[in-house]
Amino acid sequence: MMVVLLVLPLLGTLFMLLWPKIAPLLALLTASVCSLAALQLLFLVSEQGNQQVLLAGWPSGLAISLEANSLSSLLILLTALLQLLVGLYAFATHRRDKLGAGFWPLSCMLQLGLTALWLSRDLFNLYVCLELLGIVAVALVSLSGDKAIKPALNYLLLSLFGSLCYLLGVAILYGAYGVLDITVLAARWQADLPSSIALLLMTLGLMLKAALWPLHGWLPAAHAAAPAPVSALLSALVVKGPLFILCLLWLQLAGATQVAAVAPWFAGCGLAALLLGGVSALRTPFAKNMVAYSTVAQLGYAMLALGLLLRFNQPLFAAALWLFVLAHALAKAACFLAIGEITATLGGKRINTLKGASQTMPLAMFAFAVAGGSLIGLPPSGGFLAKWALLQGLWLQGGQLFWLLAIVLATLLSAAYVFRAVVLAFDRADPVAPDFAPRILPQWLALLPALAVWAMALYSEPLLQLLKQEGL
Amino acid sequence: MSPFWQQYLPLSIILSSLLPGLIIFTLKETQVKLRISLNLFGVGVKLLLVLLMWQAVKAGQQFYFSLPFLPGADLVLQGDALSLLFVVLSSVLWLATTIYAIGYLEQSPLRSRFFGYFSLCVSATVGLALAGNLVTFLLFYELLTLATFPLVVHRGTPESLAAGRRYLAYTLSGGVILMLGVALLHSLVQSPLFTPGGYVAAAVSGNEGLLMLAFALMIMVLGVKAALLPLHGWLPQAMVAPAPVSALLHAVAVVKAGAFGIIRLVYDVFGVESMQALQLAQPLMLLAAATILYGSWRALAQQDIKRRLAYSTISQVSYITLGVAMLGPLAAVGGLVHLVHQGVMKITLFFCAGNFAETLGIHKIRELNGVGRRMPVTAMAFTLGALGMIGIPPTAGFISKWYLGLGAAEVGQNWLILVFALSGLLNAAYFLPVVYRMWFLPQSGRWPAEQRLSNRFETHWMLLLPAIFTAILLLLMGLFASTELSPLSWSQLIVEREFRHD
Repeated sequence: MMVVLLVLPLLGTLFMLLWPKIAPLLALLTASVCSLAALQLLFLVSEQGNQQVLLAGWPSGLAISLEANSLSSLLILLTALLQLLVGLYAFATHRRDKLGAGFWPLSCMLQLGLTALWLSRDLFNLYVCLELLGIVAVALVSLSGDKAIKPALNYLLLSLFGSLCYLLGVAILYGAYGVLDITVLAARWQADLPSSIALLLMTLGLMLKAALWPLHGWLPAAHAAAPAPVSALLSALVVKGPLFILCLLWLQLAGATQVAAVAPWFAGCGLAALLLGGVSALRTPFAKNMVAYSTVAQLGYAMLALGLLLRFNQPLFAAALWLFVLAHALAKAACFLAIGEITATLGGKRINTLKGASQTMPLAMFAFAVAGGSLIGLPPSGGFLAKWALLQGLWLQGGQLFWLLAIVLATLLSAAYVFRAVVLAFDRADPVAPDFAPRILPQWLALLPALAVWAMALYSEPLLQLLKQEGL
Repeated sequence: MSPFWQQYLPLSIILSSLLPGLIIFTLKETQVKLRISLNLFGVGVKLLLVLLMWQAVKAGQQFYFSLPFLPGADLVLQGDALSLLFVVLSSVLWLATTIYAIGYLEQSPLRSRFFGYFSLCVSATVGLALAGNLVTFLLFYELLTLATFPLVVHRGTPESLAAGRRYLAYTLSGGVILMLGVALLHSLVQSPLFTPGGYVAAAVSGNEGLLMLAFALMIMVLGVKAALLPLHGWLPQAMVAPAPVSALLHAVAVVKAGAFGIIRLVYDVFGVESMQALQLAQPLMLLAAATILYGSWRALAQQDIKRRLAYSTISQVSYITLGVAMLGPLAAVGGLVHLVHQGVMKITLFFCAGNFAETLGIHKIRELNGVGRRMPVTAMAFTLGALGMIGIPPTAGFISKWYLGLGAAEVGQNWLILVFALSGLLNAAYFLPVVYRMWFLPQSGRWPAEQRLSNRFETHWMLLLPAIFTAILLLLMGLFASTELSPLSWSQLIVEREFRHD
């Protein structure tokens, strides 16, 4: 099953390059088949436990090994479903938005890279996935044409720098231990100077790639410059890849002293991301930049949860971390598609474009508001589940009033930037042309993930059970 | 009634307004008839279901519906005597408000959106009333905020947008803090069902500080919606909303949700004993008493009719809080029955204020001179509401104040009777001049903006009928307070069940 999930996108890309005319069709087909396969994998994992495949029959240690646990199969399913959704959106709007033909094979490659990343448990394979993701993401950003060249180049350079840092760390570890498989490495791990340096280098590279504060500077420009479907994919999925590796490193590899040293820094960075990202989102005059800054802020929650998890080793924080990742992916996809649709239809990049949108484009605006509700963490959305787990963990730990107040402040900031847009939408609309007819299908596609993130409440119990099995 | 029905009854009461609301969103502006019928159909079904539930709860049945949600806290809908009090109040007043809103908004734009959110708002209120534990309560509390916001900003003018922002700033910050408080309490004692007598008693020793913190956090938030003293600022400003929305805010949904939450928190979460053990009642009582006097005092100075009514609400809702905080059975009866009485009286006053504004363009109190001759029925309804607010027999307001006064004597807080007397005087001082102007002063000049809305009546019948209905209701509730259909006897039933557990 895992091999199928990797081979399909690869074949899909190949065929798309061969027959570019039917590329959209192939992309949608690949994504839907992959979704089914991912669902199958999820059932398999939840029934029979973790699955492992050694490619090409080589013995363990030599072969490329793929390992699926419930978290990674969940992430694969999410990836495939979002690919399908974004593909549909792109198909519905590609004529109007003049989306380049390169989108289809590239997005398929993106799916390949992500799927491989969720399945890999080997530092070098992870590097390859990371590099693939980075390059595909840059290419996708540059689809916007000339105006995106500068942010895309910027993204490329920083991404390469991040990869190099990571690779350097991997090299140090290989020199010291001679293995790169994470489980084997963890068994032989010694918390000495070389391993600390390697960990720090890798962390630096990953934080840069995941746009974790204070290395987030490239993200708003790049995500805002990209076409709407691309921004949705980048914000929802791509930044989660390096975050996933970061969690692998610190939860499975690092020694206790190393963890203790770095945990408060992670939590602090997360908090700074939440507050500063929130303030930036509140101040920016551009609609897409607001959503992009919101990504920076929301990644802060994941970072904060990771820091707290490392510090207190409380399973509730692990649940909070992954719930944030899942909820944010869905909500942010909805936000970008909705804002993209509104700005494309009403024409304009500024937040003021949203003025009166509740009358002119009620569906898209509703999608934005619903997704925003999850970003704020209103019950019963997925964001609320995550925040609830975080708050429960903090109260149970006792004496964490500082963090609690910080979370309240961060929530208020997110409410402020979401409702800044919503209040504008309730302003009286400017008169529109008589033939003004916004398209319905793309708006529904934007609404779909927003509804899905609220529906997470209905599945919270099995979801929490799935996530609870995993330290990671 | 089959068990199947019993299980789904609370849910269907919520759905009876939610589903029509969602359909209404999709309707075009021109589909007026379909929209109105959907609306009225929803109201009818809801009232019928509520009636069914009322009969069953009276006979001692409990309704229970749950969905798995968080670990240790399911989504629970529960129909008990207290929730029924609020459900009946909001459904009956929703009927009146819906009719009023249809008449009020005739010919205005964006009605599908308005009525959609209107239905959502009532669904959230009823959900809040039926919520069986704190987490469910939190959920509907937030939904109520979200559903009300579009109504407050409905006109889309700069003032209404500013009011909407203010409303959101207050209630959303409140929501976050409520989440914090609920999470704290959940980490201490989980979130079991609301039970008469509370469920924190077992955890009191050793956790005094945290429990007090949780109580303070939650009261602070509920105080935002119930407009308790320093947190009342949004309410007078929200007056820019259309009259049916004000009616909804003040009498049916938002303010009442806060007061109802305080009742739940005091009686069914903390319980009388824990409240006494933690000494939480005294500060709440002081706060409520201060709000009563402050609201009345500020109301005196207002020249705008709706603003004066808003400050009056701030004062009157705190009677409920005060009755609850006294922790005695008689005072509790007074507080609970005032939840209903204040709702009916205040909605009457807002209907009348809306009628004056719509028909004659009157917004200021000085413009009311002689309006009793031009619109006698509306002026009569207003007078009844005002007399009720002051607490003159035989109106409903008298009953609640009587019980509150008895309750204060019962728990030995005689100074509160002084507060009631003083506030009653202030009420008279800001309502009687209005009544005097309406009936006894001659009309001064032309009406600001007169419209002929009906040939037969003084104004559109859909505006008139709800006001008459609620005015008669408040008179009946006072006259027949001792019969078993009255809110008074229902409150006595609740208090009996609440205080019987020990």
